[in-house]
Amino acid sequence: MASLTTAPIEQPTDERNPPWYQRLGTDYLPFLLLAPAVITLLALTVYPFLYSVYISFFRFRGGRPDTFIGLDNYARLLQDPHFWESIRTLLLYAALSVTLEFVLGTALALFFTGHFPLRGLWRSLMIVPMMLTPVVIGVIWRLMYDPNFGITAYALRSIGLAPIEWLSKGNWAFVAVVLVDVWNWTPFMFLLILAGLESLPVEPFEAARMDGASRFQIFKDHMLPMLAPTMLVALLVRSMDVLRIFDQIFIMTSGGPGSATEVTSLYLYKTAFKFFDMGYAAAGLFVLLILITILSRIYIRFLGTGEEG
Amino acid sequence: MDTRRFEWSNIIGTAIKYAVLLLIMVIVLFPIYWMVITSFKGRLELTTYPPTLFPKNIILDNYRDAFSDSDIPRYMLNSVIVVGVSTLISLFFGTLAGYSLARFAFTPTFKRQISFWILSTRMIPPIVTIIPIFLIYRNLQLLNTYAGMIIVYVGFTLPFTTWMMRAFVREVPVDLEEAAMVDGDTRLTALLRIVLPLTAPGLVATAIFSLILVWNEFLFALILTTTSATITLPVGISGFVSQFEVLWGQMSAVGTVAIIPILIFTLAVQRYLVRGLTLGAVK
Repeated sequence: MASLTTAPIEQPTDERNPPWYQRLGTDYLPFLLLAPAVITLLALTVYPFLYSVYISFFRFRGGRPDTFIGLDNYARLLQDPHFWESIRTLLLYAALSVTLEFVLGTALALFFTGHFPLRGLWRSLMIVPMMLTPVVIGVIWRLMYDPNFGITAYALRSIGLAPIEWLSKGNWAFVAVVLVDVWNWTPFMFLLILAGLESLPVEPFEAARMDGASRFQIFKDHMLPMLAPTMLVALLVRSMDVLRIFDQIFIMTSGGPGSATEVTSLYLYKTAFKFFDMGYAAAGLFVLLILITILSRIYIRFLGTGEEG
Repeated sequence: MDTRRFEWSNIIGTAIKYAVLLLIMVIVLFPIYWMVITSFKGRLELTTYPPTLFPKNIILDNYRDAFSDSDIPRYMLNSVIVVGVSTLISLFFGTLAGYSLARFAFTPTFKRQISFWILSTRMIPPIVTIIPIFLIYRNLQLLNTYAGMIIVYVGFTLPFTTWMMRAFVREVPVDLEEAAMVDGDTRLTALLRIVLPLTAPGLVATAIFSLILVWNEFLFALILTTTSATITLPVGISGFVSQFEVLWGQMSAVGTVAIIPILIFTLAVQRYLVRGLTLGAVK
């Protein structure tokens, strides 16, 4: 019986209460097993974070903290249009990419439900873009976007349009990097929502159809509520991930032209490693992290609803 | 008669479905195809207009130039070492932690807090931790060392391996372990003898996802490595873009080689893909 717990077998009642090191394998085991992971993560996330808060109070000279300047870096940050613009670019990039991916992915999933031959094959092929090295993705698309010999220029010319200088004109560059994200991650939304759709029971939809409901009504009134949890997970996982964007943009445009595609990661990367203004970058990181924390709290609250604890 | 018309509309419907499917597959796969054929094009054909959809002569020069007399093979070796060792360690730590979170009661709040804290470290953009880590590493002289890279990557994949293994361990019935412990196993031997074999497919899938994550990682490597002794493949590829020219052919050749292991591994884990991408939240 499952209710037979292990505790009485593992720890024979012992009134002498053995010293802590003898209880390592029993009472303290849960914590002992957790320890390596928790210590590693503390060392690689919490400690660097505290360290970066510390250095954010310093002016750097020659790549080293030099003078304590209190909150000056933060004051400067508040008045730095480039920083806030990079946040705006990041949020716009995230919102546009995720929305497009979600809408396209849902449409495709609805289109491809049911029996469809060669499923295994085309599904595995669909997975490929999201597994590729982001740097390689950046390289491929930079090659295809080339205004002179790139394939997109050729395609546009052959239908009578002027080739677009994708990566060197501000708005187009932004569109270009968003399109790459959509190419990269629509399959993710598609596969997740398809998996959700296929786990739904068919009876309610059959019954609704018998009652004369239209396809759209069936989707809206019956499928959507049941599909909502899967959609939510897909949306949230993707929105958290999109905020990490760096590699492709770094390869394709390095944030340019001007600062048209300069998301916050890129701006702070340049501040820290091109201008060696590390204290100022650290202040920026702090603000970025607050933003991400707020978003991830929302995420965790949603994701946590299905958790039993 | 009615049934016949029904069949016709069915056939047309199927034809449309296949056409859409074909179009989507072309969009999904064309960029990869484009890189692969670019790697086989000669220097002249690379920059001719209109671009050729299939190389006129298949030339291996790009591969020869990129791999002989260059640091690329060394970068590959660096990648393999860093990826392999960090995945092993991460899997070890992650399995222990995942098991602990899946099996022990703790207090519900503590367990929940710690699980989600581990998850939330995965959401921090790498740039946030890498600037302080760079400064800390400089003080500890860990820049340009395998050890430094491996430590960072263990932390990078740990939230993932922990959550995945937590989900896989939960699926193993507790009764099996309890029976083993009645027969004289301790917790740890039961974990080794009962739980690990039963989660083996999950363990392999988790390992492969973690391998891919590290193999693809760029920003940490870009900042923590500056010498060819530790530069990894993605950083090596980015090195083909210089201010003056881009060596498209060679870059495509290295890119093609870099994605071969990913393609093989992806096929191996496709059954677990949805779980992997959602950290076990959706089956």
